[in-house]
Amino acid sequence: MASELTTQSYITHHLTNLTCGKTPSGWTCDPYKVDQMGFWAFHVDSLFWSIGLGALFVFVFRKAISKNFDANLAPNGIQNFVEMSIEFVEDNVQSLFGSVKNTLIAPLALTVFIWILLMNLMDLVPVDFLPVLAGHVAYAIAGDTVEWIQGPESLYFKVVPTTDPNITLGMAFGIFILTIYYSITVKGLKAFIAELTLHPFGKYMIPINFVLEMVNFIAKPISLGLRLFGNLYAGEMIFILIALMLFFSSIPIGVLGFGLHLVWALFHILIVALQAFIFMALTIAYLAMAHETEEH
Amino acid sequence: MNINATLLAQAVVMIVFVAICWKYIYPPILFMMKEREKRISDGLEAAKKADDSLEEAKLAFDKELNQAKVEAAEILEKANARASQIVADASSKAEKEAEKIITSATKTVENETNKAKEELKKQMSKIIIDTTQKILDDEISEEKHNDILKKAAEEL
Repeated sequence: MASELTTQSYITHHLTNLTCGKTPSGWTCDPYKVDQMGFWAFHVDSLFWSIGLGALFVFVFRKAISKNFDANLAPNGIQNFVEMSIEFVEDNVQSLFGSVKNTLIAPLALTVFIWILLMNLMDLVPVDFLPVLAGHVAYAIAGDTVEWIQGPESLYFKVVPTTDPNITLGMAFGIFILTIYYSITVKGLKAFIAELTLHPFGKYMIPINFVLEMVNFIAKPISLGLRLFGNLYAGEMIFILIALMLFFSSIPIGVLGFGLHLVWALFHILIVALQAFIFMALTIAYLAMAHETEEH
Repeated sequence: MNINATLLAQAVVMIVFVAICWKYIYPPILFMMKEREKRISDGLEAAKKADDSLEEAKLAFDKELNQAKVEAAEILEKANARASQIVADASSKAEKEAEKIITSATKTVENETNKAKEELKKQMSKIIIDTTQKILDDEISEEKHNDILKKAAEEL
């Protein structure tokens, strides 16, 4: 890893995942061997935060149940937050889903919303805190035994999982699978295939219909995943660029950097919540579409 | 931007979390919220009922009170009537008594007067006879004396 800290290396460092995968010489997390890993590589940092924040979600919501499971008591603290989230999700599901009864949609929407919100919120942690901390911890623990860890800075560590397209597309992929599943179980395989092939030009243009509908069908999860990724990646990028202002070792620019960081962080709170909401709303909308039996 | 197995791993992780939420988190919280909602609406309904019954009780109370007032007035009227009756009775009785007393007193006075008159006559006659006897002295016998006395008494 670069021992000289340059603008370019700083940015690269922040935009590279800690990747572990299988190389011809065995499993490794060596950043120099990422090229040899191929498809079967995992972004350990993204997955770590993703799972950790998911677990936090489960823990907090579970706690809200076990602690105050008394309908006579007024809810307080975290309970209020939990119930507010659930009411919010219920409202959205109600408005988008209407009369269709499906007990999975609301929990799915809730999980997606809170989880993405938590992952997005990691963006508000100053960009260097956690990567540097992780680098030092890794160096202290494994500096002697693992050959590729030569210093605290040789460990890549991306903190915001939603700036990793694998995470956002992974979730979109999961929703895509659910969409297909419900399309087939609710409408029936025949109706589902008919929907993909008999529109918009009727039964004599099946191949063209299929291509058009397929593009439409596939574009949904991809746009869903990439929208979230793009917004958060751009936000993260701006945080990194603002952090770079400190490189000029000039006090006015440094102060300006702090100011900009504050402004952007405040604005980013909006994006964080908005993107989580959009992802949730589209998830509900796509699943609602999968339940619609009428022709469009 | 490199796509790799992280995508699949994330999809699996998502399925796991959604399943946990679906099975263990969402239903109990929703149940709890519904339960509380029910409690609250029940409570409000009970409060409304209590209000209504309070209103009813007030009405019943007013009714009782009015009736009691009417009864009290009636009782008072009766008592008044009875009191004036008693007074009237007592005064008529007293009048009668007074009349009786007066009558008997009058009679007594009459009797006394008659008696006194009788006595007076007797004494008068005696005085007259005694005087006459003294005047006449021997001329009148015992027999004649009694006759004259008798005649005098009858004449008086």
